[in-house]
Amino acid sequence: MSADPIYLDYAATTPLDPRVRAAMLACLESPPGNPAATHAAGRAARARVEAARAEVASLIAAPPAAIVFTSGATEADNLAILGAARGNAVRGRHLVSVRTEHRAVLDACGRLEREGFAVTLLTPDRQGLVDPGALRAALTPATTLVSVMLVNNETGVVQDVAALAAECRRRGALLHVDAAQAAGRIPIDVVALDVDLLSLSAHKIHGPVGIGALYVRREPRPTLVPLQFGGGQEGGLRSGTLAVHQIAGMGAAFRLAAAEGPPESARLEGLRDRLWRALEMLPGSHLNGHPVHRAPHILNVSFEGVDGEALLFALDDLALASGAACSAESGEPSYVLRALGRDDALAQASLRISLGRPTTVGEVDTAAARIRAAVERLRSLAPA
Amino acid sequence: MSEHSPYSDAVARLFRETPGAGRPDGPGWANGEAREPLSATHVRWHLQATGGRVAASRYEVRGCPHTIAAAALIANQLAGRPLTDLGLDLPRVAALLGCPAAKFGRLFVIQDAIARAAHVLAAEEA
Repeated sequence: MSADPIYLDYAATTPLDPRVRAAMLACLESPPGNPAATHAAGRAARARVEAARAEVASLIAAPPAAIVFTSGATEADNLAILGAARGNAVRGRHLVSVRTEHRAVLDACGRLEREGFAVTLLTPDRQGLVDPGALRAALTPATTLVSVMLVNNETGVVQDVAALAAECRRRGALLHVDAAQAAGRIPIDVVALDVDLLSLSAHKIHGPVGIGALYVRREPRPTLVPLQFGGGQEGGLRSGTLAVHQIAGMGAAFRLAAAEGPPESARLEGLRDRLWRALEMLPGSHLNGHPVHRAPHILNVSFEGVDGEALLFALDDLALASGAACSAESGEPSYVLRALGRDDALAQASLRISLGRPTTVGEVDTAAARIRAAVERLRSLAPA
Repeated sequence: MSEHSPYSDAVARLFRETPGAGRPDGPGWANGEAREPLSATHVRWHLQATGGRVAASRYEVRGCPHTIAAAALIANQLAGRPLTDLGLDLPRVAALLGCPAAKFGRLFVIQDAIARAAHVLAAEEA
């Protein structure tokens, strides 16, 4: 392969924005200082951390004090789910989540099941939406936590979190939301959504890998048991010396997303729809997820009569995903698409195409033409 | 392919060129099919015989790159073999292609399709 592939896997990770890199380098080239130290260098480091905390909080309309920095959204999900379930175990030992959640959530729920908690996994409708009535029916007096993602990482479906939060309020259950794919792509207002815990990632919106955050509501503050100990940083919820350059990078990425997000999301939505219009001309193409309630940067399409892995290989000059990046090595049909009622063949023959800040019209048109050609070739090989 | 690619150079070439692929026209062909539901692998094998031996072989395949490459490799090896002895050395095919153990079962789909085609052809010849 002589040329770099066209990158269309921005839901997996995004390139570092040069302005974010500059913010990180400014930290790395500054005199060393532990934000926990009281000397001048420590105070300077602390100032950078607090500035970034405010920038992250601003994007989700939260007070800065509600932000706990973690190593990423996976850790934030684990802290929220394990921490809230264990911290509220005296009230009840039942959790509710959804079959289409990210593995970070499902595996954390699995861990709790092995600790004796009961977990109910809701099945969304065929377009990926969770029915608030189904959540209402699943809630019991023992339910302490509900975990529902805002934007699905495979399909881009946007849940009606506010409606689900209302059900949680009626039964006194906490609500955790994984917003790793939502931040910077759709507006987030934690007060309007009425969530208690919300996970964030930096590298999904042109920030660095290895840093994320958990929003923890201030009033009333949910009880959380930390996962690690030593130092008491981040209000005792996440001990460990803060990675100032990573945090500064996350702050810069969230500041840029706040400033540029709305017009950029509108641009991506236009590109996503342009791509879908080109692909739906292929007979046997199926849009996965909701046609309206979806994020602007993710398009998930299944193609009848082809193998997903073969399609991905035939498209080696495009960097995109078949199923979730985290589970692509398994080669099994996407559990998310199967939960939406897709049969194994269609779930397996899916492409997740995700767009980002550098994506151009030319790239989208080239990708559409290559995908169509690859699908047609593989169909010509297959038994009719 | 790069050292991190899950596909060998042989798989890449056979997948790209797919020699012998396609649905044949004309009389004298028999076919057999086999499927593996979980991976949705589907193979239809076509055989033509003369004097009890394979004269020509074609295949249609829906499957992963390893399966498609294996079909292309096997199709090239059948000509001249007796219909009564079309057993495949699947471990050797897997080794030639660098097929991972987890996918070995998919090669049996090819073998089953060939066996069914041979059975039909043998019955017709008899």
